[in-house]
Amino acid sequence: MYKVILIDDEPLARQLIRSYLAAYPDMEVVAECADGFEGFKAIQEYKPDLVFLDIQMPRLNGFEMLELIDNRPSVIFTTAFDEFALKAFEAHAIDYLLKPVVKERFSKAIEKWKGSVPTKVAPDLSPILENNVYEGYQHRIVVKDNGLIRIIPANEIHYLEADDDYVRIVTKGGTYLKKSTLAHLEQTLDPQQFVRVHRSYLIPVSQLLRIEPYEKESHIALLQCGAKVTVSKTGMAKLKGLLGW
Amino acid sequence: MIVRTLRKNIHWVIIGLMLIVLAAHLFILHNVFGFGWELVLADGIISTLVISVSIWGIVMLIRAYPTTAAVTLYALFIGLFMSAATVAAEYEAIKWWVSTPATRYYTDWLLQTLPVRFLVVWIFSTWAATISAFRKNMAALDARFQQQTDAAALLRDAELFKLRQQLQPHFLYNSLNSINALILISPERAQSMVGKLSEFLRSSVKRESDDTIPISEELTYIQSYLDIESVRFGDRLVVNFTHENTEHATIPPFLLQPILENAIKFGLYGKTGKVQIDISMALEAGMLILTVVNPYDPDMQPPRGTGFGLSGIRRRLYLVYGRTDLLDTQKDNTTFTTTLKIPQQHVQSNPDR
Repeated sequence: MYKVILIDDEPLARQLIRSYLAAYPDMEVVAECADGFEGFKAIQEYKPDLVFLDIQMPRLNGFEMLELIDNRPSVIFTTAFDEFALKAFEAHAIDYLLKPVVKERFSKAIEKWKGSVPTKVAPDLSPILENNVYEGYQHRIVVKDNGLIRIIPANEIHYLEADDDYVRIVTKGGTYLKKSTLAHLEQTLDPQQFVRVHRSYLIPVSQLLRIEPYEKESHIALLQCGAKVTVSKTGMAKLKGLLGW
Repeated sequence: MIVRTLRKNIHWVIIGLMLIVLAAHLFILHNVFGFGWELVLADGIISTLVISVSIWGIVMLIRAYPTTAAVTLYALFIGLFMSAATVAAEYEAIKWWVSTPATRYYTDWLLQTLPVRFLVVWIFSTWAATISAFRKNMAALDARFQQQTDAAALLRDAELFKLRQQLQPHFLYNSLNSINALILISPERAQSMVGKLSEFLRSSVKRESDDTIPISEELTYIQSYLDIESVRFGDRLVVNFTHENTEHATIPPFLLQPILENAIKFGLYGKTGKVQIDISMALEAGMLILTVVNPYDPDMQPPRGTGFGLSGIRRRLYLVYGRTDLLDTQKDNTTFTTTLKIPQQHVQSNPDR
């Protein structure tokens, strides 16, 4: 018996998938969720074999939710997305169902998934999560904090620091670790607000208090929170370009 | 085409021309006047070098001090001045190079040919000066042309925005998905949803002009939109309308719906419970004031990727009214308020005109 979770904010959309699944006696819907928070909890709890996931949802969207899950289950996205985003899915062999979801296409997706189950090789979702599939920039970062999900508004970030496989997010309310790279966060946050001043630092320009020279070719930036971060030569050039010095 | 290529590779054209001048110079001195190769080469190379430097100087001069008025006169003047200087430099340089008593006859001859040399150099200098002065002007013209193209592109964008607004593919697909589900669980509700969706589509496609329409027409359209949204999101969505004396007001089509869509998105995506949206309308000093209030959680930014947001509305308002102060948003910790002002040309605030 395969365990299936449906995550979509529209009740009717979940109902549709559920009724299509009725034709497969070996698949059981163990949970239905209306947003990313519920979805996150349900995935941790049930360890499903397959998740049908809508991308645009209240509170926590489908991508943000996936970012937080360590052992990602097989996912079939259900979306009314446009061409632009779909190309990204296709490029990485990640299955998706276009809304309105029609039965034939649904059956194909299920067959394809069942075919991939014995090999235990689910497509890697990270390229989708790492490339900014959405247009526009994120105004927040989602992190896991002792099993809880915390949403950090971009304007509360003091600075971001690379730490091996993690990024340390220093904020007004404390410091969080997120399994990600600075390069990825640099790509998703608004470049008018966040500047990669150093290989290991991404800072919001609004936090900048002053910059002092330090050794040759590098500087130290003093931030409003009192922290000091190193600014490399290229970082300095980026700051100058952005602030118009 | 040829002119364009020439214009782009002007440096090579000048170098090529210089080589031709050099060859002609050598040929004339050697074959026509019968001077020895040593003298001819010295004269030719020095002359060509001096002229090259001078023309380069002219190009630089015009680049540094461009003019837009009396281009030809300006070029002529610079050419005249520079060629006099060039010929003088040329004469001095050659004299210095061949300064032996045995070649005295050559310097004498050189002095005699100065007017001819001056004429040739002057023609070249003026030509170079005119071309570079015009190039400068062409660049300015190009920039102006680019500006106009940009304006056209902006207009095209606005058209496209309106077209998308008419069709709303995202909304359409999601609604069709809901209908798909309803067919299985409640065919009757599915039929009613098909009816609502057709009504919505019909009224969107019907509107074509950018002119204003009566507010009542816009409200019918909004109602069919809201009907569909409440099927999609169940009883989570509660919309309250209040209006006073606005029966005769007019509004450009498609402005209100994206604002509501925005409000619904902010509200629905910020929380999971019931979402109440208040829409109020009033006429004030020849303006229709529309206020939309929706719940808002500052920590929960709405997802992006679908809506055209408020920037599209702002752009349309600017295109229709040429004003940027007609759309205003305010947020506090729990609510987000959008205020839209529509100037009323033919309606007074008095309802019984």
